[in-house]
Amino acid sequence: MANGWSIIIGLVIIVAMCLASWFFAPKGENQVLWRSSLILSIVSCYLMWAITFLAQLHPLIVPRRSDLRKEYIHH
Amino acid sequence: MAPAKDTPFRSADMSMVQLYISNEIGREVVNALGELGLVQFRDLNGELSAFQRAFTQDIRRLDNVERQLRYFHAQMEKAGIALRKLDLDVDTLAPPTTTEIDELAERSQSLEQRVSSLNESYETLKKREVELTEWRWVLREAGGFFDRAHGNVDEIRASSENDDAPLLQDVEHHLAAPEVERSFSGMNIGFVAGVIARDRVAAFERILWRTLRGNLYMNQAEIPEPLVDPATNEPVTKNVFVIFAHGKEILAKIRKISESMSAEVYNVDENADLRRDQVHEVNARLGDVQSVLRNTQQTLDAELAQIARSLSAWMVLVSKEKAVYNTLNLFSYDRARRTLIAEGWCPTHDLPLIRSTLQDVTNRAGLSVPSIINEIRTNKTPPTYLKTNKFTEAFQTIVNAYGTATYQEVNPAIPVIITFPFLFAVMFGDLGHAIIMLCAALAMIYWEKPLKKITFELFAMAFYGRYIALVMAVFSIYTGLIYNDIFSKSMTLFESSWDWKVPADYRPGQTVIGKLKDDYRYPFGLDWRWHGTENDLLFTNSYKMKMSIILGWAHMTYSLCFAYINARHFKRPIDIWGNFVPGMIFFQSIFGYLVVCIFYKWTVNWVDLELQPPGLLNMLIYMFLQPGFIDVPLYRGQKYVQIGLLLLAVVQVPILLFLKPFYLRWEHNRARAKGYRGIGERSSRVSALDEDDELRQGQGQGNGGGRLSGESEVGEGVAMIARDLDEDDDDGHGGGHGGHGGEFEFGEVMIHQVIHTIEFCLNCVSHTASYLRLWALSLAHQQLSAVLWSMTMGPALGKSGIGGAIFLVVTFAAFFCLSCVILIIMEGVSAMLHSLRLAWVESFSKFAEFGGWPFAPFSFKQQMEEAEELKEYLG
Repeated sequence: MANGWSIIIGLVIIVAMCLASWFFAPKGENQVLWRSSLILSIVSCYLMWAITFLAQLHPLIVPRRSDLRKEYIHH
Repeated sequence: MAPAKDTPFRSADMSMVQLYISNEIGREVVNALGELGLVQFRDLNGELSAFQRAFTQDIRRLDNVERQLRYFHAQMEKAGIALRKLDLDVDTLAPPTTTEIDELAERSQSLEQRVSSLNESYETLKKREVELTEWRWVLREAGGFFDRAHGNVDEIRASSENDDAPLLQDVEHHLAAPEVERSFSGMNIGFVAGVIARDRVAAFERILWRTLRGNLYMNQAEIPEPLVDPATNEPVTKNVFVIFAHGKEILAKIRKISESMSAEVYNVDENADLRRDQVHEVNARLGDVQSVLRNTQQTLDAELAQIARSLSAWMVLVSKEKAVYNTLNLFSYDRARRTLIAEGWCPTHDLPLIRSTLQDVTNRAGLSVPSIINEIRTNKTPPTYLKTNKFTEAFQTIVNAYGTATYQEVNPAIPVIITFPFLFAVMFGDLGHAIIMLCAALAMIYWEKPLKKITFELFAMAFYGRYIALVMAVFSIYTGLIYNDIFSKSMTLFESSWDWKVPADYRPGQTVIGKLKDDYRYPFGLDWRWHGTENDLLFTNSYKMKMSIILGWAHMTYSLCFAYINARHFKRPIDIWGNFVPGMIFFQSIFGYLVVCIFYKWTVNWVDLELQPPGLLNMLIYMFLQPGFIDVPLYRGQKYVQIGLLLLAVVQVPILLFLKPFYLRWEHNRARAKGYRGIGERSSRVSALDEDDELRQGQGQGNGGGRLSGESEVGEGVAMIARDLDEDDDDGHGGGHGGHGGEFEFGEVMIHQVIHTIEFCLNCVSHTASYLRLWALSLAHQQLSAVLWSMTMGPALGKSGIGGAIFLVVTFAAFFCLSCVILIIMEGVSAMLHSLRLAWVESFSKFAEFGGWPFAPFSFKQQMEEAEELKEYLG
């Protein structure tokens, strides 16, 4: 389910969220504050998630460990 | 052009206004404006010293009242009477009328006299009491000596008169002595009795011994209870002494010495009956004094207790009143029209409010002369007024700590509200620590009102930043989830994308490696399968390092965009074409390219394609050192793209260097060719400072003249103010080359631009590298919490039985405390400082000028918050 397309899907979702924050930000003198803060945090969070996801998409190294107990190895 | 309303995006539009207020209501108007807190007055009497100003008398009077009130407070503290503190959130003080202030002054004057006279009599009485007590002790102790000594008179006489008396004589005499009641005076022996401080006794004795060559007999006894010194109110331990000696001169000497050693000498009669009378008398007098003392004390306490109820309010009133007169001292006074003229800055959008306040005050006073408020045009730089609310206040403060933004440039606090806590969270990513921090922040916000009163400095600081802490904690929860770290442990929220490749004959201790699932990747955050593996750090380091670079790039690009918004707002297209565009291209063609490469490298499945993945760091280095040389290829045509980008970046350097200075010179020359001249060339002004001085002088002459020689010249003074300002206005239109003001000097502009270019290009590199702190700090935080776990909870959870349970409780306490102190507070502060630096240096240097000066309106609210001396009166 979660493959490379997730990045694009996520992008679509956050663009929608950003648009929503732009249009539904509370009116008044702090509107600019709401818009800037909401969009900035949505984008920052998406960026961090996307970086983490992409870093694990095609990993160059595989996990390796030698302290596993027998009963846990298949979990 | 200007927005309809002030927003936090830029500092508010400001206007210079001139106020004409009738002299009678000057005080009331300033009072009302102080409550409003929207006007910053300029000093129109710069040339007058503090003593020459119009309202100095009133200020002196108020200073005196303030001193009296402080005296009451000191007396209250001495008497241990609690002050009723004033809570400005609850109690509102109506602005006082002049008569109320006068009454207050009179009342505090009479109260001061009363309190001080009560105090004086109390002190005299106290002194009397101490004296009497001492005397009583002397009588009691000295009486003891006499009773003992009288029995031995003969013996004393014998030993003093007859040196060769037989040794057994005193035994014989003892039998005869009791009925002999002879006096010392008969033997020509006198005595001095008194009281001396115990620590002086040794010195006293030595001095007496030396001056009298041993011709004395001294007896002393300790007074068991310490006596209170009325002057210092401190307990002193004292001794009673009685000194016997021969002859009047010697006795006089002893008296003198006693006085010089500040011993008190008391009159004691040697006759036992007289002495008994004396004791009775002393006791009676002591009783009287004590009852009077009690009464005085009670009256004083009652008086002070009554004052204590309203002292805080008086103090606040007086300090407000003083501020009002200090402000009135800034105004210039037109004697002919009996008008006060004030000048100051106020937010343009609040002008109607100020106007209606003035109207209100005038109406209330029933004056026919209206107060006039005039907006004047000026080319002076208005102050930067950034409105804040409860939430943005702390963010604005950390920005203002760096500098005051230039008037009307993009408020640097806007991006900081999110970027600062977010970058903090990247370094502080641990769900457990974030939740504790969130609880603390929420508690501070929920109990906002009671916690506001706490004055302990460290807590007050944390409390001030409670909303920053809230946002930081929320973002840290997010990054904690991304890093999949809770107290250094991982959570298995989703199915892992890795399986272990288990050989058939697996024995514990054997190394197993992971096998990636086909079309499934861990959907949110770091795969928990990495946790505890041998190459865990290898993976997370590479991931976090790349993330730091990408976030840094994003942060800096975003900040650089504000430079465009600023240039557009200030209508300086040359800043867009000469600074923003080449800068942006330079930055993107190097670091934008690097970021694109990072993303691209992640999307390629190097393992399945059986290709060697290139090292991006090497790629970037070769791009500069050997353009065209590709070590390990990333994509086809890489060589040409990289050479192209490098050329693009290099070409930007001369554009950055030369475009703006030469454009400005061209524009300047064109303006001159059309016949425009700068104001600076006409008059002798050199700098903005001189200009200001000249303005002040102009006003000074005008006002001073008006004050000295009456009506005719006053009009001229006012006209001069107006003319000066008009002149300034011209200046604003003529020499408007942006922020540099009057004259154009090519050399200066060029040097400025060279510095800017070098700084910008070098900073692109060093600032990008600086973002690696995100990786370093988050690694340190994660490793530190892992070490803490392995030293406390790890071994404790391995134990079993009742001992293990107790051990677990103890280690959990240690684990929790250390987590809070080291990992949350210490690490949090360090991450905060690093994040602060990223905001101040890496982000602000891209767009903000910080060339403004802060708007400091005359406001009672601010005054109450900032005044140190009022702190103890406000609850």
